[in-house]
Amino acid sequence: MAAVAVGKAAGAAYGHGESSGGSGGFLGPRVPAEVEAMARGLQEVGKETFRRLLKVTVNALEGKDCKDSVKLIAESTDLSEEQLAFLISGMYTLLREALRLPLSTFKQEVFKEDLKELRRPVSEGTALMQASRLPNVQDFKWRVDVAISTSSLARALQPSILMLMKLSDGTAHRFEVPVAKFQELRYNVALILKEMNDLEKRSILKIQD
Amino acid sequence: MAASVVPETDSIRRAVLLLNAVDPGRFPRLLSRLLQRLHLKAETSFSEEEEEKLQIAFSLEKQDLHLVLEAISFILEQAVYHNLKPASLQQQLQSIHLDQDKAEAFANAWAAGGQETIEKFRQRVLTPQKNLKKVFVEFSHQELFEFYNKLETIQAQLDSLT
Repeated sequence: MAAVAVGKAAGAAYGHGESSGGSGGFLGPRVPAEVEAMARGLQEVGKETFRRLLKVTVNALEGKDCKDSVKLIAESTDLSEEQLAFLISGMYTLLREALRLPLSTFKQEVFKEDLKELRRPVSEGTALMQASRLPNVQDFKWRVDVAISTSSLARALQPSILMLMKLSDGTAHRFEVPVAKFQELRYNVALILKEMNDLEKRSILKIQD
Repeated sequence: MAASVVPETDSIRRAVLLLNAVDPGRFPRLLSRLLQRLHLKAETSFSEEEEEKLQIAFSLEKQDLHLVLEAISFILEQAVYHNLKPASLQQQLQSIHLDQDKAEAFANAWAAGGQETIEKFRQRVLTPQKNLKKVFVEFSHQELFEFYNKLETIQAQLDSLT
């Protein structure tokens, strides 16, 4: 099983200083036009349609092709193409900016406040944020086994590692790691840590909480 | 000396007779080839053309060729299982009446490629990785650092085994 570790180093500098009070929070002092337009347009959009639009937006952010999904939505609602364009581009911008924030800076409460300012349905917004983030490791257990004897080798004495990873999205993964693969993992993690260190040293603007 | 690792079954007896009769010239190459692919037992079979070439090269009928190939594979698997020394292998084979030159060929091939083959068997994980799926996980710097420390602990345990 391959677990890909994605380290989020200090990302773009987004002053998340005071969020509420009409400053737009993570979107900066001026809310982008398309986000405003989207917020207004969403008043008439039903929950189901909103969910589908959300899905399309997330797919677009992940680089997937969404032409067909958008067509489907257009056909099944009575939104004009123009309206759809506003909605999707607004949601896209909103999410893209929110996702540029480093994990530690992103605080649910503050985000909810920001969304309220934009008159967005709060619940759906945060649900989306959770879905776009990758889960992190909640619990990590391991075991080193040694195979004494197998059908191929009377005296094998071959070590292997068993891992159990519980993630924040509720899933659990139990898998065996051959020693060679384990060395690869250890090497790559060390490499990423080194790169993170280098990045943080070089980063002029450090996000402080 | 280890107990006999190659039982004298009817198949083995017949295989030995056939082996003793084949041309010793190409024999070493055949042994090396089989030894290299031993750990892939499932896909070891030669292609149709290769089989036909072998039949001609060793003057063996299809059935007999199969028997010979099976026997050689079995002998080599036993050598792996018991981690035989080349000399032991040769002795064992001569004791079941394989000609000395052929037994020596086995010993030489085993001496040359035996350890490598044993290593390949060692690495062969019992759980085939067919349920492989990709899982994406996110780590902050701090989280990754903690994870790394756990990996180092595991490594320390591995080191204490040797």
